[in-house]
Parts: sequence; structure tokens; C-alpha cells
Amino acid sequence: MANQETLLKVEHLCQYFKAGNFVTKAVDDVSFEIKKGEVFGLVGESGCGKTTTGRSIIKLYNITSGNVFFKGIRIAAGTQSYKDAIKKAKEDYAVKSKEPGADSAKLKAELDAFVADQKEKIKAAQKDQKGCDKEYSQKLVAEVKAKYEPLLAKAGGEEKTKLTEEYKNELRKARRTKLVTQIQMIFQDPIASLDPRMPVRDIIAEGLVIQGERDKKVIDEKVYEMLEMVGLVKEHASRYPHEFSGGQRQRIGVARSIIMRPELIIADEPVSALDVSVQAQVINLLNELRERFGLTILFIAHDLSVVKYFSDRIGVMYYGKMVELADSDELFAYPLHPYTRSLLSAIPLPDPIYEKARKRIVYNPLAEHDYSEDKPSFREVRPGHFVQCNEAEYQKIMAELKESAKK
Amino acid sequence: MEKKLQVRNLRISFHTSNGKVQAVREIDFDLYKGETLAIVGESGSGKSVTSKAILGILAGNSIIESGEIIYDGKDLLKISEEDFHKIRGDKIAMIFQDPMSSLNPIVRIGRQLTEAMLLKGKARQRESRATFNSYLKSLEQAMEASAPDAAAKSRASENCKKFDKFEFKHIELEAAYRSAFEAAQETADDIDKLAFELEKNSVGKGTTDRLKDIARQSVDSLNQYVVDPVTYKAEMNTLSSALLKDFKAKEYKALLEKLYRIREIVGEALKKPVPNFFRMGYYLTFAGEPLPDMPVEKLNDYLKEYLDSHFMTAFIADAQRALKYSSDKSRENMRTAIAELQKALEVYSRESLNRRECLETHKKLTEAVKKTIDPLAIVKDSLSYTFSGSLRSEIDHYFQGIKDNVKVLRAHEREVRKHDRIVARGKQPGWEVAEAAVTDLELIKENIAHLIHRLVDHYNEVLNAEDKRDFHAATVDVIDYLMENAAGVKNKVTRRIAKHRAIKLMDEVGIAEPHKRYRQYPFEFSGGMRQRIVIAIALAANPDILICDEPTTALDVTIQSQILELINKLKEERKLSVIFITHDLGVVANMADRVAVMYAGKIVEYGTSEDIFYHSAHPYTWALLSSMPDLDTNEKLESIPGTPPNMIYPPKGDAFAPRNKYAMKIDFERQPPMFKISDTHYAATWLLHPDAPKVEPPKAITDRIARMNQRRERQDG
Repeated sequence: MANQETLLKVEHLCQYFKAGNFVTKAVDDVSFEIKKGEVFGLVGESGCGKTTTGRSIIKLYNITSGNVFFKGIRIAAGTQSYKDAIKKAKEDYAVKSKEPGADSAKLKAELDAFVADQKEKIKAAQKDQKGCDKEYSQKLVAEVKAKYEPLLAKAGGEEKTKLTEEYKNELRKARRTKLVTQIQMIFQDPIASLDPRMPVRDIIAEGLVIQGERDKKVIDEKVYEMLEMVGLVKEHASRYPHEFSGGQRQRIGVARSIIMRPELIIADEPVSALDVSVQAQVINLLNELRERFGLTILFIAHDLSVVKYFSDRIGVMYYGKMVELADSDELFAYPLHPYTRSLLSAIPLPDPIYEKARKRIVYNPLAEHDYSEDKPSFREVRPGHFVQCNEAEYQKIMAELKESAKK
Repeated sequence: MEKKLQVRNLRISFHTSNGKVQAVREIDFDLYKGETLAIVGESGSGKSVTSKAILGILAGNSIIESGEIIYDGKDLLKISEEDFHKIRGDKIAMIFQDPMSSLNPIVRIGRQLTEAMLLKGKARQRESRATFNSYLKSLEQAMEASAPDAAAKSRASENCKKFDKFEFKHIELEAAYRSAFEAAQETADDIDKLAFELEKNSVGKGTTDRLKDIARQSVDSLNQYVVDPVTYKAEMNTLSSALLKDFKAKEYKALLEKLYRIREIVGEALKKPVPNFFRMGYYLTFAGEPLPDMPVEKLNDYLKEYLDSHFMTAFIADAQRALKYSSDKSRENMRTAIAELQKALEVYSRESLNRRECLETHKKLTEAVKKTIDPLAIVKDSLSYTFSGSLRSEIDHYFQGIKDNVKVLRAHEREVRKHDRIVARGKQPGWEVAEAAVTDLELIKENIAHLIHRLVDHYNEVLNAEDKRDFHAATVDVIDYLMENAAGVKNKVTRRIAKHRAIKLMDEVGIAEPHKRYRQYPFEFSGGMRQRIVIAIALAANPDILICDEPTTALDVTIQSQILELINKLKEERKLSVIFITHDLGVVANMADRVAVMYAGKIVEYGTSEDIFYHSAHPYTWALLSSMPDLDTNEKLESIPGTPPNMIYPPKGDAFAPRNKYAMKIDFERQPPMFKISDTHYAATWLLHPDAPKVEPPKAITDRIARMNQRRERQDG
């Protein structure tokens, strides 16, 4: 299903949180791409930064450094890496300029050029970070103008007032549209993520209203359409969230996100809080929607059997770092990183005899890796299969792969 | 195997403004010692309600309509709240679903761990004091009543007073010994660890504290029977006071030498034999002279002789006589009580009961049953104890029911008329009339008859068995029982002891650095660690039964795996019986010995985990199994259509029929009985009826089983 067009590209994404002097590196240098129409699974234990990654992409946080490209447009950019580079360059200069025989004037000029370059980049990043939506809406506005102005010029009489009305409406919507609204999110807890004081109609329509839709009829129509799409009925629109079961609530959450006709959905553990039977319903629903609209989904979860079932490619995260990334079949057949192996060994299966003999592999990063000298990086070991490793480990993995290929 | 818990015929409903919700409908199961029983089902199937009923923490609007939960000879649904305090937490403990909300965020972990120990400790102390006093008093009375002559009578009463006195001396001596012994043990352990570090030259932070501890403990261990103060006091004092000085001066060699010397003294002390403090207590209290100077083994023999000749033989003879007397009396009363009960049965089985007559009979029965209670029996006859209360509540329920039924029926009629009116107008009312919540008077009468029959059966059983009772053994048990309760009076759970125990527990559940963690707050722990703390709290009172209500649903795979391993490990070590409630079948396969699948308040399938996973027979179990993806699933998941039924209007036939694609006509009309598949495997579905068409389980399941077999063969081959 997935074609080769890249929808979302995340480059060296870092998200740090400061608490006093202590910096938590929630997401540290994560890069991946999501192709149009595929489901990308993100797994890892709680606290490893999966959710933060999702939230950074949708700009709920201002990212610390790195870039996020959506449909080729930079929608989020961090500045920390440039600032660090400037700092480092200045320190280097301070050391070098004191060395005997150093050409201090030349070094100074080099430094200045470098700093100016980095500052330029910071400015660009800040501009993109803030201005990407503005540019997008300006583009839309221009389109609307181009479409209506010739029509208006031609029309006359009653038709003209009607067209003017329509034109104003469209213009308002275009001005308010943001690029980020094409990315939508489904949250984990269907109870906490729906406002208990809003009827379902308002919850689902909220996005439309914010975008400038004022026509009640259009809103209602769209809401009913969405409700039917997710397997609820029209009558449900006037009810409140507490009147629904867990599975139905999650359906409302799905309806709310797809009403904006997004191209990318970030599903943050959408089935973790649900019963097994309901879980199956929600997964089937997401699968249907995906086929129907050609949605692209970033699926964040910790239940590996579900992720395996649902995703085309899977990224494994550990302590803010992506440690392995591969096609889902490939990942489960040849897990290469020791953490992935430990994670796979912990999956419970509905097979009592196997379960009673199952041994969990314990992952201890200090014992497994020696990164004191050679720092690890993200390397491709097979086509489409990336592992976080250093040179020695890389050689070992390649040898292992050769061995298994022989068999 | 020993049955730890029996649930029989349990029915629980909830009063709501819309009507009566039938949450649990007639479930039966047993829990054996040392096994894990998993209860599986969707939310709202009544699994949590069942577990809460076992713990006696149901919500206020719950009605227990019938049934029994028998634990340790008591019916947990009938005993008073006071009595439940002794079982809840102590004998049956629970691990809750969400580790975030089951810990208090503003109280340190240590305090939360020790809280129950301290509270329970105080309560236990008070309780054992009361038990000890009252038991000794009834023993004295029975001794006097059964005494053949006046001399024997006065001797018995004097002996009882003596027992009271010297027993306390015994406890005092023993407590002093034990604390010294423990101090010695800790000293030895600490020195072993520290010396190892010192020799390796890796002295870390906190060594001063540890040295201080050692110094204090080594002095604490001075006791006549542990580290003899006459020989070692001076040496111990000089050694321990010099430890810190040496450390500060960095003279590690001298320090080590001193430590080894202390270790030597303590090690010797730990090997010493233990004197019998019970006998010693008597000697010291009544002999009026100091202990003879002889080795401990010889001293023990000497004291035994002294005790026997002065006190024990006579006391045992008296006690034995008293026990026999009291038990005979209670048996005599049982015979009369049986006759009374038979008579009462007639009164309670009349067409319509007379309130006055009923209450009079109840009064008579209460008296008769009360007389059958043997005050000297150590294992309390819970049926006799709870009989009066249960009977009274059933009678009250009956007469209240007569009154209420009139009102309820009238209200119901009104509802029906209103509904009909709306329908007559040609409108859809949008609601259904719930069936009238009439109290079933016949059922109450049946319950009463059941109560009486059960008590009569119980009495007959006792009367038949009593002839074989060994009164000598019983007397020994009585003395042990008294000693145990006396120990409870003295052995206080102090803060220090509680802390010591809590840290041991934290170590047991796998929390690293328990000393440091003890002083932290819940938010400083990760989800998995927090769940470990919850488990530690549940284990603090050393329970028999552990109820786990979805303990890993909020945790991710790796942590889940760790917690399950931990629960399994503790189950092995402590011979716990576990009730494991979950909706995740993968977890069930890992944990359970037996599985009960619940749907709409009923158990629909019941069997060992192999039965359920490889040979499941109920369509609901199939649906659960096939709606769960595993690593090899590629086809579309088969979700269960629809939602569970609203239990205000329970369906007439099989509750699962509307969602069941294998449903037959009979499923909508009659409830299926439990069909037996094998000795361990039962299922309630009409598909198992001999006349039913043959149905194969869904393909997803058969495929999966085939895959599992293949994988196993591959591994074996």
C-alpha cells in the first residue's frame, strides 16, 4: 500500500525538559521517515519518549533541536543544536588563538563567518517554527482569491451577494487553516480526553468551528457522517461522553480526529485502556478508515502483538533513543538490538505450555554495550533495517547476518 | 488438595435509580491452596464485584441476594464487620489495578508500608490480651465445675492464677533473649559485609553510620544466654567504642582486627543452645531462689522436672478434665438443640409466616444454639456463632419484603399503565418497563430451611466425630494457644521492628536499595516499582489469599512481565492462593492453573488453562481468543459485535446469545446448564447438548493451535 512519497520526515529530533538545573532528555536525536499510506509503529517501555515524540511532531511542545518536515514543509525546528555549535566554536577559538604561532586574525574571521552562518540558521528555524502555518494559510488565501475574484467580477445582482457571502466564508476558513491540522491525534484514555460537559456533537465539531465553519447545517451533516463512519448512530450526537462504553468513547475520539480530514493520524496508545474484544473493534475501525482515506498513521503502543498486527514498519525506542527500526516482519524475525530481543521475549501469548517455559531476556545497557570509546550511531544493516550500534557491534551484527543467511 | 476458599451460589445485585442491576448471578468456584485461579471477562462481567465481595468491600448500594463465601469455616458474607477486620488484609489481601491511585501521594513509602503493621500490631495486642484473659477465665470455671472435691477445686483456681503470673515472666525473658539474639545476628551480618569492603579498600559513604550500628548492636547483644555479659561486657564495650576512632584515624588494619574479634565472640554466641524460657519463668517466679549453675541442656532437663512435679502434671490433668466436661456439656446441648431446630423447621415452612411466632422461635433457637458453643474449643464453631444473626436477618427480610412488595407492585403497575398509554397514543416510549423488583418470599423461606438444615448436619457431624477426640492432644493445644496469646500481649510491633520488616519485604519484592527507597515518596517511583510497593503492602500481613485485580493492565510489556514473575515467585515461596482477575488472555496463559471465564455475571466456562486454551468449548471463549491478535495474525480480527447486555433487564436465555453467531433457537429461550466436558472442564452452552449440531471453533483459533503445536514440535525436534 505504501508508495515512496515521504509524508513525514523527522530529523535529529531532540526534546529536552528542564527542571531546575536538571535536564531530562526525553527524546534524544531521533530520526525517521513515514511514507504516505503506511502505519508506522513506535514501541518501547513507558517513559522511553514515544508519546513525547508524537506530541513534538504535532507541535504540542516546542522542540529543542532538529527538524520535522511534513509534506516537504518544515513545520517544526529547534535551535539548540546551532547554539551549541556556536558555543563550541567560540571555545575552540579561545584555545586555538592562544596556541603559539596562531594566525589570530584569520581564526577570528573564520569564527565570525561561522557564527553568522549559524545565526542565520537559527533565524530560519524560528521563522519556520512560527511562520509555517501563516505561509500555508496565505497560500490558501491566495488560492481562494484566485478562484473567486474572476467569478465575482463576472457575476451580478442577487448572485453576486450570494457569491460574496460564500467568498467571505471561504476566505475566513482559509485564513484560519493551519498546516498542522492535517495531523491529528487520538489519545490514550478515552475517558480523560473527552470533555465531560460537552455533548458529542460539540466535541466532534470543535475542530471545524475553530477553523471558522459557522454553518450549523454543514457542521451537523459532517458530524453525522463521521459518527456513521466510526460505527455510531446519529442519535448519539446529543449525548454526553459518560453515556458511552469505553470502546464507543474511543470511537468518538477517532471521529473527532478524522473530521478534519487529516493526512496523518498520531494514535497514542489508542487501545491500551480497552478490553480485548473492544480493542479488536477499534483496531478494525482504524484499519477500515485507513483503507478508505489512505490515512497514514503513527501508531504508538506498548502491546507488541497489536503493533505487529497493525504496523508496516516499527521503530523501537529506549530511553529517548531509537535503537532499532525495520519492517515489522523483519523486526520480529531478526531482532538485532539486545533491547528489542528483551522486549520480544516479554510478549505473553495465549499458549499456556509455551508461556510456562518462556524465559524473559533481561536487558542491561551497561553490561551489553561498551560505548566508552566508540559512540554508537544509527546504521543500516540490511535494506530498511537500522540498528543503533558502534563499529564493533556493527561488525558483529553483519557477521551474524551472514551466518544466518548461509543457513 | 486443601480448599482455601469456596464460593457457592453467589448472587449480588446493585440498587440503582433505574432498577436492580444483577451483577453476579449464581456463581460457584473453589480456590485450592497454592494455585492461581484466573477470572477472565469483559468489563462489566462481574469479575471485580466477585473479588470485592470476597474482601467485603462492596459498594453501599449492593444487595447480596444469596450465597456463601466460605473461608476457614466462616461465611464471609455473614460475619460482622468487627470480625472482618481480622480477615481483610490479614488473611485475604488485594493488589489493585492502578498503582498510581492506590498509593497515597503525600505519604512516604515507608510510612505506608508500616502503617498497617503498626495498626494491626496494636489491634492484635489488644485482642490477644482479651482472648488470653477470657479463655483462662472459662478454663478456670470449667476446672472448678468439673472438680471432684473441694481440694481439687481450690487447687485448680490457684493453678490458673499461677499460670497467668509466670507466663508473663516467660514472655519477658524470651523477648529479652530474642532481641539480643537478633542484634547478634545483625552484627555478624554487618561485620561480614563491611569487612569484605574494607579489605577490598572500597570504603564508601555511610561507613560511619554502619560502624555506629555495629557498635550499638554488639552492645545490645549482651544477654546472659547470648553474649555472656559476665565474661564479655568489658571487652565488648572497649572494642565497640574504639571502632569509630580507628576509622577516623584511618587505621583500617586495627579496625579490621577489632571487627574480627567482635565477629568471633558473636559467632560463638549464635551457636549456643536455647534455654526453655517457659520452664525458667515458672522457676524464677515461684522457686524463690536463683537458677542453679549448670550448662543449658542440663538446666532445661532440671527445670522440666521441677515444673512437672510442682505444677504441670496437675494442671494438665485438670485442664483435660475441664475440656472433657465442657465438650460433653456442649454435646448434650447439641442433642436438645437438634430437636429444637427440627421443631422450628415446621414453624418456618408454613404457607405464610406469623411474625410473632417466628420471633419467639428465633429467640428459643438462639438460646439453644448458644448453649452448644463450647467456650474451650480453640477452633471456633463459626456456624453456631453466626446462626442467630443470619436467621434474624432472613426473618426481617421476609417481613420487610411482605410490606415492600405491595408498594413495589403498585409502582410497577403505574409504570406499565404509563407505558401502555404512550404506546396506545402510537408513540415509541424509548424506555422499557423493568420487571418489578419483588422480594422472593419463597426464596427466603428456602434460605431459612437451608440454614437450619446445615446447622443440624453440622451438629450430627460433630456428634459422630467427637468420640474419637484425643483430649491429651487437645490440652497441649490449649496450653500452646494460651502461650501464643500471652506472647501477643507482650510482643509489641514497635516502629523499629516494623521498619525492619518493611525493608525486608521491599528487598523480597525486588526493590533495590530499600534503605534509601524507604524514605521516598510514591512519585519518585516508576510504575512498575510502584506496583511492587503495592504488592509489598499486600504481603505485609502475610496473607493466605492474594486477589490481584488487573495488576498489570496499566503497565507496559517488560514491566508486566517482571510483575507477573514476581507474583509467581512469591506464590511459590509463601504457598499463596491467588485469584487473578484480568481481560488479557496472554497474561492468563502465563499465570493461571485454572481459568474461569465470566460473562454477564455468570461463569460460562471453567477449566484448567490447557482446557481453556487448547480445547475451549464456549462461543464466548472462542470470541475472546479470536479477537486477540498474536504475532502471526494477519487476517482481520474477529471482534465481538454489540455490547454486553444491560443487567437491569437480564436476558431470559443465554446472555451471550444476541452476540453469538453460533446461537440456536433454544439459546434465546432457556439458560444452558453447566455441561461437563471432562473432570476439570465445564462449559455452559447448548452446543454441548447431545442433540446440538456439531460446531467447529473459529478458524482463527484452530489455526493458532495448529501453529502452536508446530512451534512446539520444532523446538522439541
